[in-house]
Amino acid sequence: MVRKLLILFLFIPFCALNLLAQNRMISGKVVAKEDGQSLPGVNVVIQGTTRGATTDANGNFKLDLEATDNTLTVSFIGYKTQTITIGSQTSLSIVLESEASQLQEVVVVGYGVQKKSDITGAVANVKGEEMIKQPVLTAAQAIQGKVAGVQIITSGQPGTSPQIRLRGVSTALGATTALFVVDGVLTDDISNVNTADIVDMNILKDASAAAIYGSRGANGVIIITTRKGVSGKIKVSYNNNVGFRQAANLVPMANSAEYNNYVQAASGLIPPASTYNTDWYSVILRNALEQTHNLSFSGGADKSTFLFNVGYMDDNGIVINNNFKRLTMRLNSDYKLTDNLKLGIQSSFASSANQNGFGNLDIDPNGNVGSVYNDAYRAAPIIPSIVNGRYGNSSIYQNVGNPLLDINSNSVKVLENRLQGSSYLEYKPVVWLTLKTSFGADWRNSLNRLYNYQIIADNNTYVTPGGNQQNPLSSLNVKNTQSFRWVWDNTATFSKNVGKHGFTFLVGTTAEKYRLTFVSAFRKSVPADPNLWYIGVGDANTSQNDGGGDMWARNSYLGRLNYSYDGRYLLTATLRRDGSSRLPIQNRWQNYPSVGAAWVLSNEKFMEGQTWFDLLKLRASYGRVGNDQIPTNAYTQTVALNQAYPFLGSGSTATNGAQINQIIDPNITWEITDEYDVATEFSMLHSKLSGEINYYNKTVHNALISVPIPRTVGDADGLIITNAASIQNKGVEIALNWRDAINTNLSYSIGGNITLNTNQVTALNGGQNILDGYVGNQGAVTNTDIGHPVGSFYVLKQTGVFNSDAEAAGYVDKNGVQIQPSAHAGDFKYLDAKGSGPIDINKDRVFVGSYQPKAYYGINGSIKYKNWDFSLTIYGNTGNQVYNGKRGARYAGTDNIEKALVYNRWTPVNHTQTQPAANGGNLPASTYFVESGSFVRINNVTIGYTFSSETLQRLKISTLRVYVVSQNPYTYKKYSGFTSELPGGPTNSGIELSTYPTTRTIAAGISLGF
Amino acid sequence: MKANNKMSKITNLVVIVFFSLSIVSCSKEFLDVKVQGGETTTSNPNLAQDLVTGVYSSLLQGDSWGNGDVHGFAFLSATSIASDDADKGSYAADQATTAGQFDNFTLTSTNPFCGTLWSGHYNSIGAANQALKALAPAPLPMATKKILVGEVKFLRGYFYFNLVRFFGGVPLVLQVPKDAHDANTNPVYQTRTAATVVYDSIIRDLHYAIANLPSKAQAGTGHATKGAAQSLLAKVYLYLAQWDSVKALTNQVITSGQYQLVQDYSLQFKQAGNNCSESIFEIETGKFNNSNFGIANWTVSQGPRVGGMGGWNDLGWGFNNPSTALINTYETGDLRKNATIIFIDNSGLHKGTVLWDGFRIPSSDSVQNLYYNYKAYTSSVVPSKETYATPGDKDRPKNIPVLRYADVLLMNAEAALHTGGDAATPVNLVRVRAGLLPKGSVTLADLKQERHVELAMEEDRFWDLVRWGDAASVLGSKGFVAGTHELLPIPATQILLSNGKLTQNPGY
Repeated sequence: MVRKLLILFLFIPFCALNLLAQNRMISGKVVAKEDGQSLPGVNVVIQGTTRGATTDANGNFKLDLEATDNTLTVSFIGYKTQTITIGSQTSLSIVLESEASQLQEVVVVGYGVQKKSDITGAVANVKGEEMIKQPVLTAAQAIQGKVAGVQIITSGQPGTSPQIRLRGVSTALGATTALFVVDGVLTDDISNVNTADIVDMNILKDASAAAIYGSRGANGVIIITTRKGVSGKIKVSYNNNVGFRQAANLVPMANSAEYNNYVQAASGLIPPASTYNTDWYSVILRNALEQTHNLSFSGGADKSTFLFNVGYMDDNGIVINNNFKRLTMRLNSDYKLTDNLKLGIQSSFASSANQNGFGNLDIDPNGNVGSVYNDAYRAAPIIPSIVNGRYGNSSIYQNVGNPLLDINSNSVKVLENRLQGSSYLEYKPVVWLTLKTSFGADWRNSLNRLYNYQIIADNNTYVTPGGNQQNPLSSLNVKNTQSFRWVWDNTATFSKNVGKHGFTFLVGTTAEKYRLTFVSAFRKSVPADPNLWYIGVGDANTSQNDGGGDMWARNSYLGRLNYSYDGRYLLTATLRRDGSSRLPIQNRWQNYPSVGAAWVLSNEKFMEGQTWFDLLKLRASYGRVGNDQIPTNAYTQTVALNQAYPFLGSGSTATNGAQINQIIDPNITWEITDEYDVATEFSMLHSKLSGEINYYNKTVHNALISVPIPRTVGDADGLIITNAASIQNKGVEIALNWRDAINTNLSYSIGGNITLNTNQVTALNGGQNILDGYVGNQGAVTNTDIGHPVGSFYVLKQTGVFNSDAEAAGYVDKNGVQIQPSAHAGDFKYLDAKGSGPIDINKDRVFVGSYQPKAYYGINGSIKYKNWDFSLTIYGNTGNQVYNGKRGARYAGTDNIEKALVYNRWTPVNHTQTQPAANGGNLPASTYFVESGSFVRINNVTIGYTFSSETLQRLKISTLRVYVVSQNPYTYKKYSGFTSELPGGPTNSGIELSTYPTTRTIAAGISLGF
Repeated sequence: MKANNKMSKITNLVVIVFFSLSIVSCSKEFLDVKVQGGETTTSNPNLAQDLVTGVYSSLLQGDSWGNGDVHGFAFLSATSIASDDADKGSYAADQATTAGQFDNFTLTSTNPFCGTLWSGHYNSIGAANQALKALAPAPLPMATKKILVGEVKFLRGYFYFNLVRFFGGVPLVLQVPKDAHDANTNPVYQTRTAATVVYDSIIRDLHYAIANLPSKAQAGTGHATKGAAQSLLAKVYLYLAQWDSVKALTNQVITSGQYQLVQDYSLQFKQAGNNCSESIFEIETGKFNNSNFGIANWTVSQGPRVGGMGGWNDLGWGFNNPSTALINTYETGDLRKNATIIFIDNSGLHKGTVLWDGFRIPSSDSVQNLYYNYKAYTSSVVPSKETYATPGDKDRPKNIPVLRYADVLLMNAEAALHTGGDAATPVNLVRVRAGLLPKGSVTLADLKQERHVELAMEEDRFWDLVRWGDAASVLGSKGFVAGTHELLPIPATQILLSNGKLTQNPGY
């Protein structure tokens, strides 16, 4: 009522000035009340007639009126219908109020959809338009900071997917990342999915929501739905963004003078005189161009719709020679065959080329591309990078290889083609029954090619010849991998309302099969011309080849019951029975049940008449999910082949042999996660404020882990995959959003979310703690043990620095035994944790936290003023530790040193207690290397301008928006290294060694619609 | 009517679809997916024989910084660099915390080489135990089976002999773990056994090998033989100071007529001398998969290294340099000196050093060190005078003598010195071959001297010094501490993995 009055009030002046007219025309714009966004597709009908119009992409409409027309009916799904008296107005500004705001939103929940208000589990939704705004490779990276409970660890490397952890670290093997379901196709990698194709992402966070995916749900499930066409006129749109990337944060390294000073202080040796002063990071890094283009066509007739999108991305890495290019094409179409039979196809093709990606090589690497970032840290500044085409010889100076030559002497290229799609047939024989069968497939073909240039350590290559950075014969290594995966889902959904009782019952089966084969080949002496990089060109006497494969199958039965009573009481129960070929026959099948209940208080009688809450819901759920992500041969004893021995010696050919050198667990079984979740959801003050508070408690039983076993059992890698641990994650997620339109010109929103998580190992089945996280000569620096978070840092406690030899000698335990007998002034002082004499670098270690944050949070704000839009995303985490592995791995006296350490180090006059005296590295793992990983970052700032339709009509353009965006413009962190965002495995994350540098991006783009 | 027909067709289609899905779902075979590309224990009829070859293959482990080392750079460090034969070499900081800790006896339990020696030997023992398990039921003629078992037991004995000399009493594993639980909890894998018990097991294995293996003439080249088992057992008794047994066994080898000294001492360290008449057991190398096939890094780690002015394509990393102490040990005229040591030209005349195959190493101003191990040299001229799959690689494979006849003669002489008998004859056979005059009588000191120079740089010297009780006096200047450095530290991670059940050696 207030709204209507307001509208009336706004338009009184126009009415007063208006003249009566015959055969008039009226135009107007429809916007949503909640956020002021224009609403496309709204029906505007002249009451009592069939004449009307639909609003365009900008919410504008235009109508010819006859003399008698005086009332418009404005309607749109999910919004309250309005009736507007025209009077003498010629231009209308219409604000629609949503029926129950976003509560009516429909959410994809796996094998079906559900109204958001009816959901009893923890499900988060992120819209595609929020993701496309960011100049990032994958949609997963774009949701960083947007959803509580979802931790995204990004990398600056082109062509890589970020690491996703839902509600803490819960599994240790293989699938540590969430399962993606792209239009029904299950995958663990969405780098082929163009963000512009995505309508929305639904994140099933708790086990009760994910239990319908059973054994695939242990790390959460992210369901991606791609765009579809809409009946009507064919729409054409184009959008792009072009920008630059640069390293977000560098650690200044010593220059030649500082280096000489430090090395001399450390070793007493004076480095050779040099006129060079190389900043190796500036040698290997660059400002890199990034661009993305998308062109799409969509439309349809009554019985069919289509969408076609072609996208191109060219993303240059900030490390020279590193580049990722991707072409994607998508065709989605839907057909109504009869009134009750529908057919649809979603298909996408992606073709990508990744040049010199770090660690991106699926073949034995001879190259040093991946270690170049760490080499640049250690390379001495007194060595030139390149002089008149000849490289500075760092290896002859007993230093790391020349980082520039590392890059230039290897070419690593990964070419991948991927076809992914699904098709469905949906039949509704009666109104209460839907039968659906859908078949999805994912075909990938990737070609990895590694070329190692010949490097002769002579005067042509180097300023000074010699050294060990050389490769006497060039070589070419190629590997072709093909994989095919299909999944066939069949479901029947019964839906019936009986009075106030609403039932939806789903039953179904799914079957899935995967097959992979690869062949690889190798030859030496292939010429340096890239046109000759084919195996046949190489020396046949050096040929080697390999091949192999993998295959697995899964089969499941699933059922789900949704019951609601009067919109007040909601119940969801699911059961999935999973069978997997990855597990031995006696453990092959497992049931995954879940149950969730919710009480919608706001629909109760006693809440009637109150105006505070639009929605108030309490919900509680329990669910079980699992994990079978182990190598397919984990339970089968296999024989290691090609363990040959050349009995005749003298260069003779070896006799082939075999070994049994892997100890297996024949009784390996499912990893099971049980999760309890309690939450409240609310929406109040006319949906201006909405929010959700979740408490969860999940325990992983029988976690599948590669456990180190005593070497004495004769296992070649000393590891065995078994159900080895129980891990618990407990936490609270809070999300609050406020959005309001002050007037039709100004609207804004601000939202925040925070997740508090604690992780702990509660049991180790074999009683065996897991040491991992190897750093240079320091050995393992993490320990996964009962009572501590997974992958906790486990190191000596550095308590100070000895200021004199006497002080070191006088550092004794209670029995007077010297604790650090070989220490001198300037050396670190370590805590004698066990209190028993000389420091034992194994026994005197202490737990000092883990890479897992105690909290992570995001803040999202947006303002819309007239045609301008502005948005801001902040992301941060706190309470995590990182290990400065680059410092820890320093081991040669010739290694460079951070500039700050040259000046801050302990000296006889500077008695700092936090930095040691000048040294050649090789310090034991200690708390000195463990630093706070807390950081807060402005993730994204975007300013956009949308041209008004008046301006555009003359250009026959329906929409045009231009924008400028900065991704990652500013980070505040405590860590002294390059980045505290350090992806890795569950037991070895948070260690900075050769991690690709994080980037900052500035880009501009347009989005254009016809 | 038409529409109805269409409808019923579609209905039928749906029914068919739903019916067919149940076929997929119900088929048990659908989930019975066999391992792809992985041979199982039942799919290879020749598994037992292949596994025996696999045990030999484990002799070639040289992953010194990784998963296992049996005769690689770690072994070299623990035997040769640790002894007075050699210095670490290369430049000061190079591998200071790995090989360097052996050279100056600053060993710690986290030294990766101790870890890889431990894992390499237990990998080999595991391969041997698996082979023995597979041999028991294998459908082979009994005679063949006994030979195969004998070969495996010979090798297992050798691995344990190295382990017990490196680490003292170690977990004595003669079985295969039943499963993961057994591997993680069975005390067999975590508790140390007394050194004497380990020795008893070695002796049992070698006795079986002696009883069942054919003589060198009847055995295939490169395989373990009766003579090899006798020689190895003699050496085991040498360490136990059971002189009668040493004497008896060495006499059996000597009188077997299967072995004799080669005239040219240096021949044994060239490809032409592989499996020569003096060879009793050696680690064989060759080619496989169109590649050089040997022990990773064994030759490249010891190859002469560029230094100073540089300017040449060097041969390796420059480790394991013969020491001046070794050089000074040779008597004048001993042919073995120039066959053992590459002397870098340090005369200032820039003549360089020309090796047996004509390869010229520049003089000292372009080379990192002054002395290198000639016994690790592989023909580096182009074209190579030896046969390699890829001669361009710096890390060319090279056979390593483990037991040779000269060693047996010297063991025989040493036993004679303790039990009475003729020590001079066997010693003089060795001396005369080396171009030296025979000795009328031989003292223990003479014997030690002869063993030192005859077997110099052959990875035996450190253990000899420990066995004689001379380690502290000879190696004290390098940092050797009696009571500690006779044995290596047990790898720290293994102690942690055993929850402390595995105990550390004294002093570490």
